[in-house]
Amino acid sequence: MLFNSVPYLIFLPLVVILYYFLAPKFRWILLLIASYFFYGYWKIEFLGLIALSTLVDFSASNQIGKSIEQWKRKAWLFLSLGTNLGLLFLFKYLKLFLPSKDLMQLSIKAAEYPVLGEMYYALYLVIPVGISFYTFQTLSYTLDVYWRKIEPEKHLGKFALFVCFFPQLVAGPIERFTNLRPQFDKEHRFNYINFKNGLRLILFGFFMKLCIADNLAQTVDAVYANPEQFSRWGIFSGTMLFGFQIYGDFAGYSLIAQGSAMLLGIELMDNFKTPYLSRSINEFWQRWHISLSTWFRDYLYIPLGGNRVKVPRWAFNIFIVFAISGFWHGAEWTFLIWGGIHGLMYLIEFLIKKTGIKFKGQSLVGGILTFLIVSIAWVFFRVDNLAAFSELVNQFKLDQGTQSLMFSKGLILPAALFILFEILLYNNRFDRWVDNKPALLRWGTYAFLLFCLTALGGAVNHPFIYFQF
Amino acid sequence: MKKANLISIPIKLLLVIALLVGFNWVYTQYFWVDDLKKYDAHVLLDLWSKQDTCDVIYLGESSNFSIHPNDTQRYSISTLIGIESGYRVGSLNKGAYHAGIYIPLIQRIESETVHTVIVTLNLRTLNQATIHAPIETSLQKQARLFKLNPPLLNRVLLTLNAYDDKDVTERDKAMWYEWTYDTLKSQEVEFPAPTIKKWCELPKFVDENGEQDMEKRTLADHYIKAYAFQIDSNENPRMQELDEITRICKEKGYRLIFNFLAENTEYADSLVGEPLVWLMRQNRDILVQYLESRGAEVVDNLEAVPGKHYTDQNWTTEHYDEVGRQIIANRVADVLASGEE
Repeated sequence: MLFNSVPYLIFLPLVVILYYFLAPKFRWILLLIASYFFYGYWKIEFLGLIALSTLVDFSASNQIGKSIEQWKRKAWLFLSLGTNLGLLFLFKYLKLFLPSKDLMQLSIKAAEYPVLGEMYYALYLVIPVGISFYTFQTLSYTLDVYWRKIEPEKHLGKFALFVCFFPQLVAGPIERFTNLRPQFDKEHRFNYINFKNGLRLILFGFFMKLCIADNLAQTVDAVYANPEQFSRWGIFSGTMLFGFQIYGDFAGYSLIAQGSAMLLGIELMDNFKTPYLSRSINEFWQRWHISLSTWFRDYLYIPLGGNRVKVPRWAFNIFIVFAISGFWHGAEWTFLIWGGIHGLMYLIEFLIKKTGIKFKGQSLVGGILTFLIVSIAWVFFRVDNLAAFSELVNQFKLDQGTQSLMFSKGLILPAALFILFEILLYNNRFDRWVDNKPALLRWGTYAFLLFCLTALGGAVNHPFIYFQF
Repeated sequence: MKKANLISIPIKLLLVIALLVGFNWVYTQYFWVDDLKKYDAHVLLDLWSKQDTCDVIYLGESSNFSIHPNDTQRYSISTLIGIESGYRVGSLNKGAYHAGIYIPLIQRIESETVHTVIVTLNLRTLNQATIHAPIETSLQKQARLFKLNPPLLNRVLLTLNAYDDKDVTERDKAMWYEWTYDTLKSQEVEFPAPTIKKWCELPKFVDENGEQDMEKRTLADHYIKAYAFQIDSNENPRMQELDEITRICKEKGYRLIFNFLAENTEYADSLVGEPLVWLMRQNRDILVQYLESRGAEVVDNLEAVPGKHYTDQNWTTEHYDEVGRQIIANRVADVLASGEE
């Protein structure tokens, strides 16, 4: 089920109402059923994958907890890692090795051989939504148990809920067991402030997704579908705008997730903090997709030695973390390059910092450079593959197109509002920012956002970009 | 929860509802028309501009306005119907429109003068290739904007993709599934193969050297894909849409005439053979009987236009030259006149 769909707008209020009517001890059952329904609504067959991942991790973690011998603990850990990474490989990376098929052939095969054809079709075309997110969430749990940071979960149902809690199931934030799981045991009473803040986050999240990302999508898609029709300036602008599209899309999703959870009294971590106002790449990664970057910090960078090693090794660690982070996004070289660029820039920034150079306006220059680097690196994120990238570069060099960028009229008002909010919300969150404003400004803001949402939302059929990861 | 908060919730809810009602007014006044143009749904604007100056609304697709380059007379079918019948005919047409898209348009008619609605209907809109055509997403998106709801609600639903927005691969898969498993059944005719897929796989136009005439074969296969199906009144989604059209027209007091368009049965016969023509006729009979039983009038043009009067000789369309268009228009005008007191 998509957040930006009518079924979700019916589903969420129903779940919230039922949730507060149920006795607290039964609420986890409701949330588990709701979460499975939420996921199965898209493709019921992929529920099996979540169930498998849940069962394996539950059993493995408990065996790790029980075992005294190190080899046994390691064996159970490898079983868990193997299962999760295996599923990820099967559905996300195997297609790299499958003979290529055109879409028509795949459709014919899927129709002709309902079981085998459909499987091939699924492996080739369909990525179980959110597989990268929930596998990483469960991996962190198993590793924490293995490292004896937490005790293994004894309640299968609540563990299953930790794996599939619907607000953050398909695109994060990737939650830690220690943050999310204890909240399922709390006796959440209906809390007006939580409720209000939840709705505020949902409103602002929808605004970012539907008004910013979806309106920009039309412009950006046009550039990337036919770069030959656009001038150099058009291609450059399209690329810059993609940065805002992906931000609106993903940060919007995260806010709706946080807001939905908040309606149930559950706090999810912040995933974005006005990232385009960062003054360095280092800072950008403390503000962009925070749940993933902290995941990589805790479960890859630190185990690799972090910064407690010699500089060359540390540089290698940084590079590896960024490269794998890139590859996490998809089975294309372009994602690796995207990660590599960020890794390289991170290291260059470190070297510059080491020189101790300081000058007036450093923050501003740093901010502009960071924005440019991040935006240009998004090219590798947006193109389908390296061939498409080289075509884009070729067209950029040729500068032959005459078409100018087409902007949706409905974008002007939301875009102005969005830029204003980016500045106002620096180191803040919409719900907290709006909370202490006078009633007129507060309601004026709601009204403005609501009007943009209802009358000026983009009308492209764009699921959330991060669903494909 | 504090009592003050408990009281403020319904007040805030009312405020939101009031805001939405106000927004709907603003949207309808200042944004709707732009959106209708932007999302290619300007057919509603056509309706608004024509409905008060015509007696008959003609709902059509590309058959109405397609012409042959050599035509000396370039009138559309609807114009010719107007000339022949003497009625003022206002046409609303757009390529690939079908019954499902006409429904909201008919619902939107608000006219003192309109007394008759003519709906074009072609056999191909009931086949699996058309039902699962990739263009359907775009058509449904357009129709979303003129459904009979408050315009702001339609706009929100458009943003939320609340229309049939399956992607191309899903549609292809569904189409191939039907072509693979939907079997043809008859006691009267023996089909060369039980399904479209198997029928298309058979060799065709083989010469003495065992070589096939690929051009003819491709066209024959296309005819098979277009016409080798049997309408299931309970399952075919178009039938429910036609039902809905007859219901709405009855409710609004409009005389309803279906202009069942001509298909190139001559070519179907020469390229594929009698079993295909038999299927076309069987489907025609099912449709005519079905619609007449619901009180609609049907002008059966299936075999009315000779093969040479089709503008697309290498494809299956309902595009006619001037003679073809005149034939169709005359037949519709005759039925239209037959209803006069």
